[in-house]
Amino acid sequence: MINKLKKINSIINSDTQLRLGVYGIIFFLLVVMLAPVISTHDPYNYGPDVLNKISENDHILGTNNMGQDIFSMIIYGARTSLMVAVISALISGILGVFIGGISGYFGGRIDHFVSEIINVFMMLPTFFLILLIIALFGNSITNVMIVIGLTTWPSNAKLMRAQALSLRERTFVKGAVAMGENQRQILTKYIIPNGVFPVVANTTVGMSNAILTEASLSFLGLGDPNIISWGQMIQAGKAYITSAWWITTFPGIAIVITVTIFYLLGDGLNHVLNPKHMTMKGGK
Amino acid sequence: MESILDLKNYNVTYINKKENKRIYAVKNANFSIYKGDSLGIVGESGSGKSTLAMGILNLLPKNSSEVSGEANFIGKNLTNLSEKEYKKIRWSELSVVFQKSMNSLSPVHRIGRQVEDIYKVHNKNSTTKEIYKRFSHLLSLVNLPESVYKSYPHQLSGGMLQRVSIALSIIHNPKLLILDEATTALDVVTQGQILEEIVKMEKEMDMTRIMITHDVSVVAASCNKIAVMYAGEFMEIGKVEDVLKNPKHPYTKGLMISFPSLRGKKDKIEAIKGFLPDLSKKYSGCIFEPRCKYAMKICKDTKPETIKLGDGRYISCHLYGGGKNE
Amino acid sequence: MEDILVVTYMEVERMNNNAYVQIKNVSRWYPHKSDKKIIDFNKKWIKAVDQVSLSVNKGEILGVIGESGCGKSTLGRILARLEEPTKGDIFINQTSTQKLIEDDPRKFRRLVQIIFQNPFDTFTPRDTILEIMTRPLKIHGIGNNKGERYDIVKKELESGGLYPAEDILRRYPHELSGGQLQRISILRAMLFDPEFIIADEPVSMLDVSVRAEIINMLKKLSKEQDSAVIFISHDIALTRYISDNIAVMYLGRIVEYGQGDEIIKNPQHPYTKVLISNCPSIDPEEKIMNIKIEGEPPTPIDPGPGCYFAPRCYKAVDECYKKYPATEDVGGGHLVACDRLNKK
Repeated sequence: MINKLKKINSIINSDTQLRLGVYGIIFFLLVVMLAPVISTHDPYNYGPDVLNKISENDHILGTNNMGQDIFSMIIYGARTSLMVAVISALISGILGVFIGGISGYFGGRIDHFVSEIINVFMMLPTFFLILLIIALFGNSITNVMIVIGLTTWPSNAKLMRAQALSLRERTFVKGAVAMGENQRQILTKYIIPNGVFPVVANTTVGMSNAILTEASLSFLGLGDPNIISWGQMIQAGKAYITSAWWITTFPGIAIVITVTIFYLLGDGLNHVLNPKHMTMKGGK
Repeated sequence: MESILDLKNYNVTYINKKENKRIYAVKNANFSIYKGDSLGIVGESGSGKSTLAMGILNLLPKNSSEVSGEANFIGKNLTNLSEKEYKKIRWSELSVVFQKSMNSLSPVHRIGRQVEDIYKVHNKNSTTKEIYKRFSHLLSLVNLPESVYKSYPHQLSGGMLQRVSIALSIIHNPKLLILDEATTALDVVTQGQILEEIVKMEKEMDMTRIMITHDVSVVAASCNKIAVMYAGEFMEIGKVEDVLKNPKHPYTKGLMISFPSLRGKKDKIEAIKGFLPDLSKKYSGCIFEPRCKYAMKICKDTKPETIKLGDGRYISCHLYGGGKNE
Repeated sequence: MEDILVVTYMEVERMNNNAYVQIKNVSRWYPHKSDKKIIDFNKKWIKAVDQVSLSVNKGEILGVIGESGCGKSTLGRILARLEEPTKGDIFINQTSTQKLIEDDPRKFRRLVQIIFQNPFDTFTPRDTILEIMTRPLKIHGIGNNKGERYDIVKKELESGGLYPAEDILRRYPHELSGGQLQRISILRAMLFDPEFIIADEPVSMLDVSVRAEIINMLKKLSKEQDSAVIFISHDIALTRYISDNIAVMYLGRIVEYGQGDEIIKNPQHPYTKVLISNCPSIDPEEKIMNIKIEGEPPTPIDPGPGCYFAPRCYKAVDECYKKYPATEDVGGGHLVACDRLNKK
């Protein structure tokens, strides 16, 4: 067990981007978990200190026009971002892996059909599709997450499909067939577990996209008004950009930092999970 | 007889700076090849045979490998040559064919065009006509039609491409040709024919050859001398008839028993038990000792010296002497 | 698809109908995509395996040799039912495997096992050897609980000379050597007491000094189990060592068949003669006396109508191109598909 941890540690340290990404994620998770401890005020509280400047009245980053403490809002906003990132990534990832895996493994007509669907999705401007669905079905944060997940699965599916296509030719998959395993077993035991790595890396990038999408939706006024999110904060602070610049700026910086962290993580994972690192021996 | 390649205490070590590890891939190699010889270096994976070839050709990665000792190639010590001097002798005097040489040809240029490029490296002012004439002659030596000159690589089969690589390797009439598993990826029939062509070509061009392979039968069929390598060291060297008919070193014996005969008696074949030793460690005794059927106490403590048995036969084994008396 | 001639080319006379495994007229054709036409009226076929009929008895090892492109690997895959044959069927103990795989596929998989060429890729890198070995037992309902399955597997490893079994069971494939992995591959196949084993180049990726061990183990276990074995290889000397009988393939067809030593020492078909004569021997005094042959084997795209080897055959005459040669028995069950046997 310790050996495994040591191995993981050395892998993480081997790639700079991965290392930074992992530290960033740990930092991010700490912020999310310790939100009640770190934040100075209750972010939902409409206080009397309206439009306070930075470090005025114990407000580290000032307050907005409703008296809410910006610093605390950013801390709690991290929770929203994380939730959006994880849930939409989960939906997108699971859908993509299964659809792509089935398509690539079975081939034939199923594959043709699914590939066409993937192509159609990739042609669609996803953001407008999201806008449309939110406009039709309401803007709760749950809808936002589900919709993002439902519109981003094609890229994962494409990756998984490519993996499945090559994995089904591998000797151990043929061996599984020869051992009497049925197709469902082969898909879930051999194809998906061995092919999921690029999807994992892609998903982390997807997470940062999800955060950006949610922020953009909120910025356009289509976000969930009951939840504190960075996009909301930017939208609310639009009107005060010249007088109280801190309302929009800090959430903006938070978005940039978070998206960068996820991106570093994804990119680092890609480097490390690259087939060149995986030893697949094939004779001399 | 003119000595073509003379190795003295030749060592190749790989260095892994990150983990501070040294891998002793070739240790204390000593042999001499004379003009007209065809030496087959036989060994399994981890024997160091390909590393030896790459070392002689100076193709090892510079920052992670170390070469020491002498490799005297017609009077020049290769270990002391600079890359610039190497460039002058590579291909013109010392040439190589690799296992998948066919993949080294550019897929988007015709064969002839690539031949011209290669030829002009050492003969800048040659004309297309000259090169065509020269290469056509070489093509005939490897049983390929002249039309190959105008073809693209994808129009030729694997066997044909390998033959093109062989023809290319001798284009400047090198003194020494090294073939590193050059026929391993080919079919039996193609291999048989290419071996025959190589032997014929060699005689005509008065060339010396080193054949590196794991297949003893290839050496038996096409070489006059054999050197058996194991874990980076030479176990036995001698004339092919002598060594194969009468193997002396336990490793050579073990190898011969693991090959079934094609037409002879169906004697039971046996594997050599055990595993390759860790090449990052230095051993005070014989490196084959853990797997040797005939191991004696002295084999574990003292490394055997190389004993000359006469008639070009060398062996590193305590069974034939070779220990320093304590 | 064109009408296939019903006549099998390796006649049933040799194939005594009592043979345990009977391969009857098996073909595997792939459509050849013509790059010019969208609707192709003159469809061409790549005949990777063409009308192959063979029989293997219990406890017999049949070697199949030939060069790349001859179809022996495709044949192996079809016999193991990793691919469907285009035509033909395989009978084991008079039962049609076509029917068997429809009615009870798991039973088929217990009866027929395959050993693959690449031991490094035969097992999923994510599981330990224990998981890899016990999984098939679980799927087929062998062993009632984890403990029982562990014991079965441990015993199997020990019987194959892999000590200490507990240690090996804990390891992952990448921690083991090629020789160990291939032994485990054979032992895993033996877990079902298979009746028909296909060995597809089982040692070509292994070091020379390790091969003997695998070959001897395969021979011992299959004889003990009384399985019928088909041994596919391009190494002729090795095939001769392990096989009782040998079949020679060229461009999808069996061109010669007979007892192992007889084929090697007295080859009759011109292709077999070329093959054997070009084979290097470890005996340096036996210099290769190559029979020359032009070019490389072509892709089997609609070969024929005559003998498939005629374009490269040193004995070919006009008649050879017109109709496929009949099979002759030159004595003792030594079958050759050639019309020019006794002529120069």
